[in-house]
Order: sequence, then structure tokens, then C-alpha cells
Amino acid sequence: MDRYRSLLFVVCSLVVATTSSLRAEMREWTSSDGRKLQAEFVGAVGAGSTARVKLRLANGNEILYPVAKLGEADRVFVKSSLPTDPAALAAEIDRLVMAKLKSSYYELKQELAELPENKYLDHAQKLKRKEEIEREMVMCAPNPLTTDEQFMRRIYLDIAGRIPTYDEASRFLASRQRDKRARLIDELLDTEAFAMRMFNYYSDLLRVREGLTMGGSDMKVDPYIEWLKQCARDDKPFDRMVSEMLTAEGYIWDNPAAGYLITDSGMELCNLSNTFTVFLGTEITCAQCHDHPFEQVKQIDFYRMATFMGTTSSRGKPPVMMMASTDEPEGGKKSKRKGKKKDSGKSEVKRMSEILDAAGMLGNRDTDRTLGDINGTRNYYVNDRGKQTVSLPHDYKYDNGEPHQQLRPAVYFGDPVNVERHASPREAYAQWMTAKTNPRFTINLVNRLWKMAFGYGQIEPVDNIPGHLDGQAQNYELLKFLESLMQDKNFQIKEFFRVVYNTQTYQREAETLTPSLTQVDNGTYHFPGPILRRMTAEQLWDSLVALTTDRPEEIRREGAADYQEFMHFDTSELTTAKQIVAYKERWRSLGSLTKGEGMKLEKGDGRIGKATMVRASEMSLPQKPGHFLRMFGQSDKNLIEGQYDAGSSPQVMALLNGSITNQVLSSPDGYLVNEVAFGEDRKGDKVDKIFLSVLGRTPSAAESQMAASMLNARLDRDAKEKVQRTQLAAGVGDVIWALVNTREFMFIQ
Amino acid sequence: MNVFDKNQLNQLDEVSRRTFVGRAAQTALGVSILPMGAASSKVLAAGGGKAEHCIFFYMGGGMTHIDTFDPKPGTETGGQTKGLATGVPGIEVSEFMPGIAKRFKDVALVRSMTQKTGSHGGGSYWMHTSYAPIATIVHPTMGPWAQKLLGKKHETLPDSVQIGGGGGGPGAGFLGPALAPLPIGDPDLGVQNADLPEGVDEDVFESRLKGMNLFDSAFRKKFQTDEVGAYSQFYDETLRLMTSSDLEAFKLKLEPNYDEKVKRYGDGKLGKGAMLAKRLVSAGIRFIEVKSGGWDMHQNLWGGSIQTRAGALDKALSALIDDLKADGLFEKTLIVVGTEFGRTPKINANGGRDHHPRVFSTFFAGGGIQGGQAYGKSDRLGMAVEEDPVDPRDFNATIAHAMGIDLNQVVYAPSGRPFLVAGHKRDRETDRIITEGKPIMPFFS
Repeated sequence: MDRYRSLLFVVCSLVVATTSSLRAEMREWTSSDGRKLQAEFVGAVGAGSTARVKLRLANGNEILYPVAKLGEADRVFVKSSLPTDPAALAAEIDRLVMAKLKSSYYELKQELAELPENKYLDHAQKLKRKEEIEREMVMCAPNPLTTDEQFMRRIYLDIAGRIPTYDEASRFLASRQRDKRARLIDELLDTEAFAMRMFNYYSDLLRVREGLTMGGSDMKVDPYIEWLKQCARDDKPFDRMVSEMLTAEGYIWDNPAAGYLITDSGMELCNLSNTFTVFLGTEITCAQCHDHPFEQVKQIDFYRMATFMGTTSSRGKPPVMMMASTDEPEGGKKSKRKGKKKDSGKSEVKRMSEILDAAGMLGNRDTDRTLGDINGTRNYYVNDRGKQTVSLPHDYKYDNGEPHQQLRPAVYFGDPVNVERHASPREAYAQWMTAKTNPRFTINLVNRLWKMAFGYGQIEPVDNIPGHLDGQAQNYELLKFLESLMQDKNFQIKEFFRVVYNTQTYQREAETLTPSLTQVDNGTYHFPGPILRRMTAEQLWDSLVALTTDRPEEIRREGAADYQEFMHFDTSELTTAKQIVAYKERWRSLGSLTKGEGMKLEKGDGRIGKATMVRASEMSLPQKPGHFLRMFGQSDKNLIEGQYDAGSSPQVMALLNGSITNQVLSSPDGYLVNEVAFGEDRKGDKVDKIFLSVLGRTPSAAESQMAASMLNARLDRDAKEKVQRTQLAAGVGDVIWALVNTREFMFIQ
Repeated sequence: MNVFDKNQLNQLDEVSRRTFVGRAAQTALGVSILPMGAASSKVLAAGGGKAEHCIFFYMGGGMTHIDTFDPKPGTETGGQTKGLATGVPGIEVSEFMPGIAKRFKDVALVRSMTQKTGSHGGGSYWMHTSYAPIATIVHPTMGPWAQKLLGKKHETLPDSVQIGGGGGGPGAGFLGPALAPLPIGDPDLGVQNADLPEGVDEDVFESRLKGMNLFDSAFRKKFQTDEVGAYSQFYDETLRLMTSSDLEAFKLKLEPNYDEKVKRYGDGKLGKGAMLAKRLVSAGIRFIEVKSGGWDMHQNLWGGSIQTRAGALDKALSALIDDLKADGLFEKTLIVVGTEFGRTPKINANGGRDHHPRVFSTFFAGGGIQGGQAYGKSDRLGMAVEEDPVDPRDFNATIAHAMGIDLNQVVYAPSGRPFLVAGHKRDRETDRIITEGKPIMPFFS
């Protein structure tokens, strides 16, 4: 078979067996199905789940045998000689990609040869198919490896979420270290920029937005934001992260992971669909109303699954004495109700409102609005209430259940779950969901991360992974390898990325052709290189930020600690209107931007003219509809992965005529303009500096000439020095404008 | 079908994926300024289909019905608001709507609007989309629906425009950003970023473009992908648009007799929004929403707020009707006034009215609507619907019917879920998905 031959070919040409101290010793080998063989261990080939051992038989012949097919004892025996470093694992991915490209090439070639005899296609269809085949065959040849410049810009955008600053770019390009790419990957994965970039992804995926609930409460989302960033920063295993979100208990300010369930407060059935989409790559929304037409999921399955979360409430009541301010001021008045239903702090709102009223500061209202809003956020307490609220809908029409019938929680795929063995139904649900044996959890994760790095998932669309995976995935062997890699790496995303970004597959030039819809649809694009991607709105914005400052991550939004302290504050201490007004003021200032370690911003920090130029992850979520970020496709955070990269006329107008490209990027207050126009020109040519900063590359001779003439075009040599400075800055602004308006800037090659 | 047929499932799965990918491609290539293909011929339903354009005034905050289109003078809930004769026996509007009272032969009111949501966001969502807000999908509003079902109306200008409201709201929902209404913040300023910025004259602009094209030439030559091509096309189209006369439609200041018109329409966002809407209709744009707030009158309703808000609305509507008539556009332009709910008949302790979704009023005129009538009735005190309830789905069905949209045409979201313009339900007899909303047929006789 072609595939087999090319596989062997690739093995021989690419991989050298690792030498090992266990060598040169005749021993008995047992396969997992019990067959035995006498052979000498030569070494290991490859790494991870597809590693093979090279064995020398008594007759001197050498064979390769998959480690996965060895018996347990032999697997332990060779384990120490299997490489686990990113380079070896990356090489294994490359081998699988190359093998697929090769086999795909031969298959297409054969199809082309047999096309004239094809009985099912007419002449026109044959011509069309011929064209397609030839185009696809071109895409079976791996692209050339990237230059350092290309690699640098891409890896910065992928890991740090923005282009490199001038200093970062020149440092990397000047380095003579042979392993500088691997070093840069390591370095970037440890930056705050990576946490911001991952947060942008999570924020799009999990719909993280101010106020959080759909009704729009006044809840601060800071704790959840900071927790998500921290998960990325600390590389918290993803299975644990998901589990914490599904089983969180408490207020968001005490347990930030509660933010996940609060997001869908009051829409628990939607939360089930959303959870499946996000963490299992499975679309089951249809089954809320009827049996799924395409997948093997019935309406009753949906409600059995929903029953797991049916006893959980995101509008629960905390255990008594959680809050300092819940005592009834006039004891006994409501004593009958007190035992059943706790006062949620309303009496404190009333008491403080009366003080404000007495001072003439309440206006026409019964109670103060801000105080009421603050107290309103106490309605969102996640806990288990014990009572099952999920049952089949009133119009249930199938024979296997009755309307309003309550069901036992059960899963419809994966390992069966016995709820009794767990602390609560949702503990059972979380464990089932995140288990290594769940056939979709790890696959979904690696597929999504692969898409982040390469532009397409192995399976598209990523939120609709078919139940029957084999034959649907672009490269089944590779996908299974990635699954085991993720599990071997203990669900640590940084470790996974470290391997992926070290592959040659990633480090190849972007594909210059657009894969056809049929290719994406049928899974026959096999990654001769990453897809050419348009930057996300956040990557675009953050790259512009990196042109205005040399420390793009310095300014951060930090409000969780203050918020927690605020919510635990005992308001009964507040007895004067002045104190209460100060308390309200404090509420409004929670979650503002800081400059490291809670240091407040000074005037002008992070601002150029009227624009706030800090990273998107630190700004209000989402931005208002007219903002640059929204115009370029930032999600409104109502829907999972609501971001888009489609172009529009308003985008182009914003780049041509808007304030960001015309005032902010050309302002002498901005880092780049200031450095180029007025800085000591110690680092070489002005034009080179602008090109390296904006596009991450040096200009051609023609480009240099053109840019130089633009730099000085506005300069009037006879003008006063002050005027000349403005003119020079404007000239720099013109070149930056022209570069930012290129497609080269907007796309990640 | 109990037997699990893998092949069949495979096939069906394939269909769902194809639908998805097909739409993804559409989104990547379709843009507000690119023609989306000729308008497909749609069934013109009986009496409907005359409205080639629609101007939808949305009164955010919850417009009080009792003090605008459904006065209850002399009752315990009427408050200080008096009624005004309309010339149609038995129908009065409030004293704050004198212009409408005079033009009532062209106006049709709905006085039996009702819905279930008392929150601004939820109610507004219902009125704009015919669906309840849920966490797994965003439903489209009427402008994008019309473009999807009727085809693009104008070659270069966008199909729908939203004036005011900061561009918020469900927009095109699952139909994708390509169909999203073009947002206009300030009617006087028109399209954002349409003109060259300060300090950039044509020479500088030319030189910058020359630079851009040179710096980008190697990249564009190497990467001839659809996406890069699409962006280059946007640049070409936008540069053409900037220098063409099409954008003048958005320049309100170019309107002849600007000052005189501002006086008639009202010198505020609402009045100028109506003026711009009229200008856009004349230029050929199909759907314009004018958003205006200030109706959340919890306190001191008669202390100036009802006079201001209702006065502005009355002026804007009156001038709009007059000008559309003068230009012969009234019969092809539907004017609608909607809001998320009415306000409580009971006047609260602060002299205001609170949220009241149980019954409220909306307004229709032009676009083939039979004027001089009020459909439905609230009870004596304006508490509840007494006759012919109309919910948000019926409200949208009426607009869609006037515009010639087939209420039963199913559109599938990318996830494969079916939706209709005025809400949907399953027909028990045929097991088909059919419209839930029904047009108010007496408006079309």
C-alpha cells in the first residue's frame, strides 16, 4: 500500500534511532497480545504514543515495532530510553504530517490516473475534478521553512498575542544562538503576554463580559478574568480548570471559577449545550427540543445529561453568617420569615438609604440605586440546593418518557457514570467530562489548540466533532498522537504548545493558496504549513499598542482583591452620609487599571491623546460597538466564539481615516514615532527601524527609497525647529500609516 | 428508525457540515458594500409587499401608552394627560401628539400590544427579533432579515442602517456581520471615518496610498488567497465609495433647506435621525432604524419629560409623513414606532409610571397601511388587553408582510437550527415549521 511505503520512506529519511545504554542484550519481548520474540534492543525511534523500538533479531535483521503494542513489562523496560523533550515530540508530529502529505499525494495521483475511466462523472465534472486534484497535489508539498523574520512575527502573534516591539525584534534577529527559535518559544510562553493572549481566547470561547449574566447585573467580572489569566500563567492542567468551573461553589469574589456557571444563570439548559460545545466539541442544542437529526443523541439524552446539573443553582443562598451585614436591624419584625428565607442585605441598603435621605442625597427614590446594585450581586451564589429542577418538557412527544417526568442523570457516550459514588451529581458530571477516557474531551482541546496555531482544526468545524472520529479527521493518526501527547503532558497547554511550536510543520511558510471548501469539508488539507490568517481583533489592537509603547504589558487591570475585600466589608460601620458616599465611590473605582503591583496610573499613562492604548485583555469586555476592536470583529461575548475575521468597509475607513492610524500612531507621544523622529539614532537607519517595528522585516531597496522620501516630504527646512519637529513626526506617521494599511500587516504569514 | 445506519448518519453529518462551511465562505466574502446578488422574486402576499422601505423608530425605555397613543382622560389612571380628537370618531390620541392627531387618516395604531418581559433588555430583544433572548444564539433584527430574504436592494449602499443607540442590539445575529446594519452615531456626522482626517490633504493621501501599494506588493503577489483578495477589494471599493456621490446620502448637512427642516423635524437626535432616515430612503436604502431613549419615566412624568419626548416624536413623525408624501414616497415607505413595553397605569409615589409589558401601543403609517384606524383595545384603565392581543411576533409579522417577506421561509442558523422572521412553531398536522406571528390583516385592506 502506498501509505505504508511512504511511511517507511519517511521513517528512514527523517528519523535517527536514539542510542541507548540498554542496547546489545538479547532478551525476550512480548507483545500486548502475547506473542514472543527474541531480539536485541537497538534503540528507540520517535517519541510519544507512536514511538517504536528498533530490535535486532538473531539473524541480524532489524525491525521497528510500535511501543504501544508491547506488553506492559517491555513498555516499562524501554520507557527510560524514550525521548520526552519537545524537539523529539515535535519531530514525531512532523513525521505524521509528512506521512499524510505523502500518502495523500499518491492517492490523488492515482485518482488522477483513473479519472478518465471514472463512470460516475461526466466530462465537465471530470475537468473540474482534474483541476481540483492538481491544486490539491500542489498542497501536498511541504512549504519552505520560514525565515527568522517570518517565524519571529508569527510566534509573537501566536504566543504573545501581538507583534514584537522594535527592541524584541532586533534582539532576536541579532542572536547567533543555534537554538534561538526554541529559546524564544520558551521565553514567550513564560511572559504575561501569553496569559493575556490565552485570556483573549478564553474570553471569546467562554463569553467573558462585564456584568457576566445575561440580564446584566452589576457584578464585577475581575475575579474570573484574573483567575483565567492565572490558569494560563501557571499552566494549570486544563482538566482541573474545567472541573473547577463545573463544580465551583460560592460567590464570584470568593471563588472566581464560579463565573463559568453564573454566565448562564437562569439558563441552565443553555449552559449544558454551551458546555458540550466548548469542552467536548459537540453540538447538542437541537436535542433540547427534539432528537438530533445527525448525531446519535436523543432528546431524552439531553435531559438525562441536564439532570446532572439540575440540583445546582447559580442563584442560591449562602449558608447563614456568610455576610456581615445580614442581621435584621429591628429584630423580631420579620422573625417568622427569617428562618426560611434569609434577608439578602436589603435591610442594610434600606438603612444606608435612610441616612442618605436624611442628608438630602437620595432624590426621589425609595432606596439608593448603587447600594441596591451592589447588594444585587449577592444574588449570584453558586451551590447545590438538593432539589432536582430538571424534568422532561411539557410537550415531550417520544414514547420513551412522559412530559414533566424526572429522570436519573446519565451520560449517552463515554464511561457510564454512577452518581452515588460521587459527592454530588455535578462532581460526577465534571469527572466524566474531563476524564482521559472521555472520547471527546482531549480531542476537543487539542483540535482547538491546533486551530489556534495552524488556522484550521484537524476537524472542522471545531464545535461539531462527529461521534465517529476515524475517517472524519484530517489526519487520524496525528489526532490520536496529539491526544496522547496532551494527556502525557498532564493537560498543560503551555507544554503542548511548546511541542507544537517547535515542529517544522509550524515553522514552515504559510500556505499561499486558499484550501478549497471541499478540502476543508472532506478533511484533505494536510498542513504543508499553517493557513494564512487574518489577525484577530485583539491581535491587531495589541500590535498597534506595541507600536505606541515599548512595554505593552505594563498596564494591567487588577481588581479582584479589592473587590473581594469590598464585598466582605461590614457596612454596619458606615453611619454617616459622607462615609456611605465614599463607599459608593470606592465601588465605582474597583477594577481600574494599575501599573504593576497595584500602583495607580499617573496622568497620561497608557493614553495617547484621547485613546487608551493598553492591551485588549485589560480593557472593558466587550468594547462598545463603535470601538476599533469591535469593528474588526471582537466578539460581543454573547455567543461562543463570536469573534470574526471578515472584512468590511467600516474597517477600511477606520484604517484609512480613523483616529488610531492618523492621530495615535503618528503622535510624537507614541514610542515608535518618538524614537524614530527624535531618539538618538543609535540603532541604525530610521526606515529600517519603522519596517522592523511594523512588519518585522527589513525593507527592500525600492521600499527604503520610497519610505525615505515620505519621511521628509513634509519637512520645510526653513521652518522653525519646533515646526520641523512636528513635520518630521508627521512624515514618520505617514510611513507607519502606509505600513499598517498593508495586507502584510493584517495577516499572519 | 431504531437501527443505527452508519452510512446514513455519515451522509447527514456531511450535509450539516456543508451548510456550515458554505455560510462561512459567504461571511468572508460578503460585505456591507458589496452587492449580495439581485433581489430574488418573492411571493407578494395579499395586500402586503408595498413597503419598499421601512423607517423603524424605536423608543427605548418603555413608551407610556396612556400618555401617547392610548389616552385615558378622566379615569383614575389617566393622570394629567388629556385626549385630542383625531377626526376619526371614537379615537383620540394624547394632547402631546397634535401633529399625529391632524394626520390621523394616514395612521394606524395598535393598542393591544402585549408581551411577557418587564426588563428593558429582554423586552427590546423580543420586539427586535420575535424571539426570547437565550444564551446559545443571537437572532437577527428586521433589516438583516429583509436583506437575507429579499436580496440586496442597492448596489453600493448598505441595506440597513441604525441611527443612534451606539450600534448596540442583536444586529444581524446569526446571519453574520456582513449583514449587520451600518451604525450612525450622530446624524449630523454621518458615516464614521468617511472623510480624510485633519492634516491629510489629497496629496498626502495619494503619497500614503502609493507607499502602501509598494510596501504591500510582494506580499500580495505571494499570497493570492481569497481572504487577502477580499481585503484588497474592500480597499478598492471603499476608496471608490469615498470619492463617489453615494456617500452623500449620509451627509445630512447637504440636505436642501437644512435649517428649515431642522425646525420642522425637531432639533435633536430624534428629529435629525428622522431627517437622515428620509434622506436615506430617497437614496434607496431599505431599512433604517432610528433609536431614541428617554422613555423610562419612573418619576415626575409630567414635569417636562413627557412633553419633551412625545413632543419630539410627534414633530419628527409629522414632518416625515409630510415630506414622504411630498416626494411620493409615502406609499412605499412604512413608518413604525415600537418600544419594549408600556408604563403602569397606576401613577407611583414619585409621580411616574413603572414598567408595564401587559399592554402597550405601537404605531404604523405608510407603506400600504390603511390609515385612520386603531387595532385592538386596552381596557378602560389601560391595564390589560381587552380585544385582539398583538405580541412582538405579530408586530414583526405585520412589518414583514408590508415589506413583502414570506413569513414561512425557513432560514437555518450555522448550527442547523431553523428560524423564521416572525417566530416559529411546529404545525401539528403537517409537522412543518411555520410562522408563529400573524400580520394584522385589517391594516392591509
